Amino acid sequence: MPVSSSSSSQSQDLISKLTSTDPQLKLKALRAIKNQIIGNKTKKLSYINLGIVPPIVQILGSSSSDSSLIVNSAAAIGSFACGVDVGVKAVLDCGAYQYLIQTLSSEDEKIYDYNWARGSFIKLEILGFDYDMERGVVLVKLELGFDYNLVVDAGARALRMIFQSKFAPKYDFVNEKSINFLFSLLNNENENIAELGACIITHSCETSTEQKALCEAGVLQRLTTLLGGSLNQRDASLESLAVILKNNMDTVAKFVTVDSGKVLSAITELTKDRFPRTRLLACICLIGIGQISPCFMEDMRIKTKLVLILVELLEEPDRVGDETPFVLADLVTTKEDLQKIAFDSNALDKLCICLCKSPINPKRTEGILLALAELCSKLEICRSRFLSLQVLNMVTDALKHDLSEVRIAACICIRSVTRSVKSLSAGRFMNEMPVTTLVQLLHDSFITVQVAALGAISNIVVDFTTHKSIFIECGGVTQLVELSKSMDSTLRLNSVWALRNLMFLAGNNFKEGILEELTASTLASLICDPEPPIQEQALALLRNLVDGCGDSINHVFVEDGLVIGAVGRQVWSASESEVCVQGMFALANLAAGSEVHKEVVMHCLLPPQAGGCTQSVIIKFLQANDSRLRTASIWCVVNLSYRGCFDSYSRIERLRTAGIVSQIKTMVNDPCLDVKYRVRTALEQCMACDNST
Amino acid sequence: MVFLMQGPSTGNTLPPACTLLSVGQAFAGTQNVSSLQKDEAWRVNVRIQGCDLDHGYLCGTMEALNVPMADTPVVTFWEGEIVDTKNYTFFTGKWEATPDDDIRHWSKFPSFSALLSQVEVDGGKSLDLSNYPHIFMRWKEQYFVNVGVDCGLTIAGFYYVCFSFSDGSINGFYYDPNSSDESVLHRTCSPFQKLELKSTNEGRSGFSFSSYQLQ
Repeated sequence: MPVSSSSSSQSQDLISKLTSTDPQLKLKALRAIKNQIIGNKTKKLSYINLGIVPPIVQILGSSSSDSSLIVNSAAAIGSFACGVDVGVKAVLDCGAYQYLIQTLSSEDEKIYDYNWARGSFIKLEILGFDYDMERGVVLVKLELGFDYNLVVDAGARALRMIFQSKFAPKYDFVNEKSINFLFSLLNNENENIAELGACIITHSCETSTEQKALCEAGVLQRLTTLLGGSLNQRDASLESLAVILKNNMDTVAKFVTVDSGKVLSAITELTKDRFPRTRLLACICLIGIGQISPCFMEDMRIKTKLVLILVELLEEPDRVGDETPFVLADLVTTKEDLQKIAFDSNALDKLCICLCKSPINPKRTEGILLALAELCSKLEICRSRFLSLQVLNMVTDALKHDLSEVRIAACICIRSVTRSVKSLSAGRFMNEMPVTTLVQLLHDSFITVQVAALGAISNIVVDFTTHKSIFIECGGVTQLVELSKSMDSTLRLNSVWALRNLMFLAGNNFKEGILEELTASTLASLICDPEPPIQEQALALLRNLVDGCGDSINHVFVEDGLVIGAVGRQVWSASESEVCVQGMFALANLAAGSEVHKEVVMHCLLPPQAGGCTQSVIIKFLQANDSRLRTASIWCVVNLSYRGCFDSYSRIERLRTAGIVSQIKTMVNDPCLDVKYRVRTALEQCMACDNST
Repeated sequence: MVFLMQGPSTGNTLPPACTLLSVGQAFAGTQNVSSLQKDEAWRVNVRIQGCDLDHGYLCGTMEALNVPMADTPVVTFWEGEIVDTKNYTFFTGKWEATPDDDIRHWSKFPSFSALLSQVEVDGGKSLDLSNYPHIFMRWKEQYFVNVGVDCGLTIAGFYYVCFSFSDGSINGFYYDPNSSDESVLHRTCSPFQKLELKSTNEGRSGFSFSSYQLQ
C-alpha cells in the first residue's frame, strides 16, 4: 500500500510518542490509535503498513508499563487483530502473543513476582499480617496499585480476537500441558478468561483424536456449565461444543447423555433465544449432532424448525447474516428431504433476494452461492425456481469476483443449476450463460478455481442443441485440451471429463475438430494415465467419439493404432471395474462399425499372442460380479456376432473356440435383466449363423 | 412373473437399468392416429436425454415427421415418470387422469395383465417390479423445441408407455382429458392414438452407446 508523505510524518510522530519515556504521551498516543482503528479496516491496514504495531507491542511487554498502558496497548493489539488477518500476523510477528498470555496470570503469585521484578508497582497498601511459625517470618498481604482485573480483561479480549483468525497459534490437545492450560482458563472465575478457553478450543480442535481427548478430559461438562453463564460465555461455549461434536460419533454419543440429556434440551431451547447469534450457534450444534446421529433429525418438526430459524437469520446483518448461508448449506447438503423443506420454506427465494442486495460483503456472497448450490443440487423444482428468479446474471458477475472463494462458489452454484437436463435440452445454458466467462476462468491463477470452473463447464457442454460450437468459438476446447496435459491430476481429470461430455452426441465435424486439437497420442496417454478415474473418463470420451455413424471412428486408427492399442492394454490390465466398463463399451461401439472395426476389436479381445492358451479377458468380464461390466461385455459379443455381416460366421467361430459362446450359454438366466436379454440376443445370432451354414 | 413385496421394502425394488433405455439411445417408429374420418401414421423419432432411476425420471425429445399442416418436423421435449412403485405408481393422480382412466390405458398393454389385479387394489404400490421384463412409464411433453406454441398443435395430454427389455421396443397410448377424444401432437381429436417405436442402431452394424456424466 503506498504511503503518503503526510501519513509518513504522522506515523513518525505517533512512533516517537509511543517510544517516548513519558508514560502520559504514550498513553495519549495509544488511546488516539485505539479510537481511530475501531471498526475501521482501512485505518488498521494503513497503521500496520506504517509500522505502528511493533512499538505498541513493546509497550505491552515493557517492564515499566503501568496498568493503563498495558490495558490500552492490549486493547489496541486486539483491535488490530479483529477481523483482519494481516493485523493478526502483524501482532503475532512482534511477539504480542506471549505478553498477552502473561497478562492473564496477573493475579497469580508468579506474576506478582514477575511484575515485582519488573518494578511496575506504583502503590502498595498493607491489608493485613500473618505469621509463619515454621519459617519465622511475618507475611504481609498487599493490595497492589496495579489494576489486574482491567489488565486481565484487556489481555483476554485481545487474545480472543487473535483466536478468531486462522493464523493464531494452535494448541495440541493430545498434549497434557495444553489440556491443563485449557482447564486453567475454562475454570477461571473471570468470564473473559473462561470464554477465551472456549475460543481456543474452537480454533485449535481439528482432529478426532483431539475431540476425544477434550471429551475424556471432561471439557464437555465444563462447557455445558458455561452455557449458563453470560451471553458471551454461552455463545463461545456453543461454538466450541459444535467443534468438538463435528463428525465425531464418540463425542456426540457422550454429549447426548451429559446431564441425562438435559443439555441437549437446553441447546434446543437456545434455538429460540432472543439473540440471533445464540440461535445460530445452537442450530450449528444441533446440525452437528443430527449429522452424526440421524435419529435425532428424524423428527420432521426439528428439521423444519432448523430450516425456518436459518431462513429467518439470513436477513440478519453482520456476522450472523454472513455465517447463516454456510450453516444452511451444511444442513441441507446431500439431503433431499431437507432441500425440499428449505424450498417450501421459501429459502431459495430469500437467498436470491439477499444475493441481489447491494452492497453485499464477499463472505456473505460466497455463503449464499454455496447455499443456492446445495439447494439446487438434487431437486429439479429448486433449479427451475432458481432459473425463474432471473439471478443467473448475478451469479455470472460473481464469476469475475476478486476473491477466489467467491469465484469458486459461483462455479459450484452454476454446476448445481446446470444439472437440469430439462434446461440443457432447451440449450438454455449455452445460450444464456456467459460460457466465455467460465472459459476465462480456466486460465485462473488458482487451481481450485480452474477445477470449479471445469465442474460447471462439464455440465453445460452436455448441451443437446446445436450450440456446442459456441464453446469451441470461445476457445473452450483449446483450453480443455491444454488442461488435459496438466501436471495436476485433478485438472487432468476434470478437463477430460468435460471433453467426454462435450463429445456426447456431437456431430461428426465437431468430433473430428476436438480430436484434431486433442490428438490421438494425447488421447492414448490419457487412456493410460496413472490415475484410474482419468483412464475411465478418457475411455468414456473415446466411447462417445466412436458412437454414431460418421467417419470419426476412423481417426482412432491413426498413428499405427496408438489409441486402440491403449484401450487393449487397459482392458487387459486395469483392475478398476469402472475403467473396464468404459473400455468394453468403447470396444462395443467400435464393434458396431465396419468389418475392419469388428476385426480390430476381435484382435483386442483375442490377441494372437495369447495363442489360444490364455483365457480371453472378456470371459473374466462376463463372469464379473459387476453387472455393468457383464452388460458392456455382452454388447460387445452382440455386435461382433451381428447378423448380416460379411464375416460374422468366422468371428462367431473364433468366439466359440475362445470359450466365449460357452460362457454366455451359462448366462441365460443372469440376475441382471439387461444382461439376460442381451445374452439371448447373442445366442440367437450365433444359432442363426449356425443354421445358415 | 410378478412379485409382491412382503412387508416394508428393504431391498432395491427399482426397475433395473437398461442400456437400450439409457441416455443417448434413439428409437424410431410411428404414431398411428385413427379417427372416424381417416387414419394417419406419422413417423416419430425419440431420443433419450436424461435418466435418473433413483427418482423414477426419464426425459428426452420426440420428433414427429410428416405431420399434416406442419412445415417442418415438430420436436417436443418430454419428461417421463417411471412406474417403480417408489416414486410413482400406476395411478397418475394428476393431469386429470382418474384411476379408471389409468387402468383402461395400462390394460391396453398385454404385459400389464399380470399386474392388473394388484393395481386395482393399490395402484401397484405393493408390487416389486425390479425383475419385471417391462418398464411402465408416463411421458408428458413439456414444451415445443423448434416451433412456437401457436403452431396449431397441442401437448396437453400424456402418453402411457411400456418398454420391453427383450427387444427394446416402446409402445404408448395417448390420453388427453381436454379432448372429447384423445389426441396426440395433436392436430385433431382422435379416438385412438398409438405410439410404436423400436430401438434403432442408426444404420450401424450393431448397437452403440454414448454417455455423459453430470458433475
